[in-house]
Amino acid sequence: MPDDGREVVRVRGVVKDVRPGLGLRRKRILHGISLTVHRGEIFGFVGPNGAGKTTMLKVLMGLIRASSGRATVLGHDVGETEFRRQVGFLPENPYFYDYLTGREILRFYARLSGVRAAAMDKRVATLLDWVQLSDAADARLRTYSKGMLQRIGIAQALIHDPEVVFLDEPMSGLDPIGRKQIRDLILRLKRAGKTVFMNTHILSDVEMLCDRVAILVAGRIRFQGRLEDFLDGDERESDVVLSGLPADLASRFEERYGAELRGHGTRVELRVKEKEVADLLRAALEAGAEVQSVTAYRISLESIFMRAVESAEESS
Amino acid sequence: MISPLRIWVIASNTVREAIRSKLLYALLFFAILLIGTGVLVSALSYVERERIFQDVGLAAIRLFSVGIAIFLGVGLIHGEVDRRTIYTILSKPISRSEFLVGKYVGLVLTTWLQLAIMSVAFAAVSFATGAPIDLAHAAAIGLTGIEVMVIVAVATLFSAFTTPLLSSLFSVGIYMLGHLTRDLRQLGAQGDVEGFGTFTVVIHRVLPNLESFNLSLHAAHGLPISAAEIWLPVAYGIGYAAALLCVAAYVFERRDFR
Repeated sequence: MPDDGREVVRVRGVVKDVRPGLGLRRKRILHGISLTVHRGEIFGFVGPNGAGKTTMLKVLMGLIRASSGRATVLGHDVGETEFRRQVGFLPENPYFYDYLTGREILRFYARLSGVRAAAMDKRVATLLDWVQLSDAADARLRTYSKGMLQRIGIAQALIHDPEVVFLDEPMSGLDPIGRKQIRDLILRLKRAGKTVFMNTHILSDVEMLCDRVAILVAGRIRFQGRLEDFLDGDERESDVVLSGLPADLASRFEERYGAELRGHGTRVELRVKEKEVADLLRAALEAGAEVQSVTAYRISLESIFMRAVESAEESS
Repeated sequence: MISPLRIWVIASNTVREAIRSKLLYALLFFAILLIGTGVLVSALSYVERERIFQDVGLAAIRLFSVGIAIFLGVGLIHGEVDRRTIYTILSKPISRSEFLVGKYVGLVLTTWLQLAIMSVAFAAVSFATGAPIDLAHAAAIGLTGIEVMVIVAVATLFSAFTTPLLSSLFSVGIYMLGHLTRDLRQLGAQGDVEGFGTFTVVIHRVLPNLESFNLSLHAAHGLPISAAEIWLPVAYGIGYAAALLCVAAYVFERRDFR
């Protein structure tokens, strides 16, 4: 059972080996994945293409079996069936029966999910409204655009009002308007107290949406935690803009503080460790320089992501 | 816990897919055309015109029923995996076995629906040409329905783990051998090649004996049909199809959808 009911997804030491083609050699896709997702949070599962994100999600959905390790959702083994009443899933580039209309496909999934007949029409109408497809509800899915299919995909994932929703690359291939609509829907889920597990490689979406992330590179988790905890205090940096700084002093600062120096002439910008800012300002003021601005620099998720990829490449 | 409701949701949607497919209407058109052609063929003969028409008609019904069953059956499960429509379905509270059985039931109902339409066409042409229609014809067509159940189960089994091309080859092969097992067994019993007799016995036991579903001769020639000639093949067909579905479900439950 989940600890104190907060753990919605619990993965411990999941390994997945596959045999590509007919050969006997095994290829390891997932190397002992362990992660935890808490109730009510938006969890980003981040990694480059081919890292194993979709494989992990398919393990959680019971579509493929782990070679070893254990995965549970809401305290149930992922191989079970009935608990999926509380689970919604949007696969990457979802495919549906295109001979059905939007309304028919939602009714189909609602019936499969055990939604009561009396409540079905209202629920279907509500979801069509949420995903802004009420006007296209009676058109066949083969006439839908990619963005519309993505939205009907979200609607089918939510048709039975699940506790936890798994989304695989929900924003992939969408235009800016489509991405915003999906982002708004995800935030709406969070407000409703739902848990969202989201696979993505679009880092700006992660930064905007996710409470916690796990970075997966080459089948291994390189980091897991809150975005703001990505860097400890020692690594936080600030951008200091100075004017009137003598050229020789700027070079000395660069050497002494290991600072990154940008600009030239009388106006320079230095990126230094946060703990060294006071020291640098004192020295700059003593040398007659003027402080234009001091801004805390928030390292982008992209930088961390690239760092994780590089360290994985180095270790391999 | 197996849920008949969930099986029905999948089955009814499979029927709906067939009803909305244009290709199926084309096949049905040709089947009815072939039944009608029986009238022309029989016109070439001076004797037993009704019998010749009904022979051709019943053969057309059997051929098209089995053809449609194999044609649709071989892609039944594979198509869902290939088009990835299965991902969202299996993320709902439905087991793989329920899904497989639902698809099977849906396809059997589809082929029965087509069988019913072809039978109406057959009866209409018989009525128009004055050929006699009796319960023997109904029994022959009914057993074709049971044979189709078995063939759909064979195609479903192969579709659960291999490609439509291989499934087609296997299914057609089993259909052809299935009509020959009785003859093969007799051949094996008469022959003196070592091991061949045992081989034909094994083939006869393992493969479906599809000739047991063939009452066309009885119907066309007005031969008497005993009750056992109906209920024994019915029980055999249902049992055989159920056994195949169990194997298919076993294989399907263990598959990875990568």
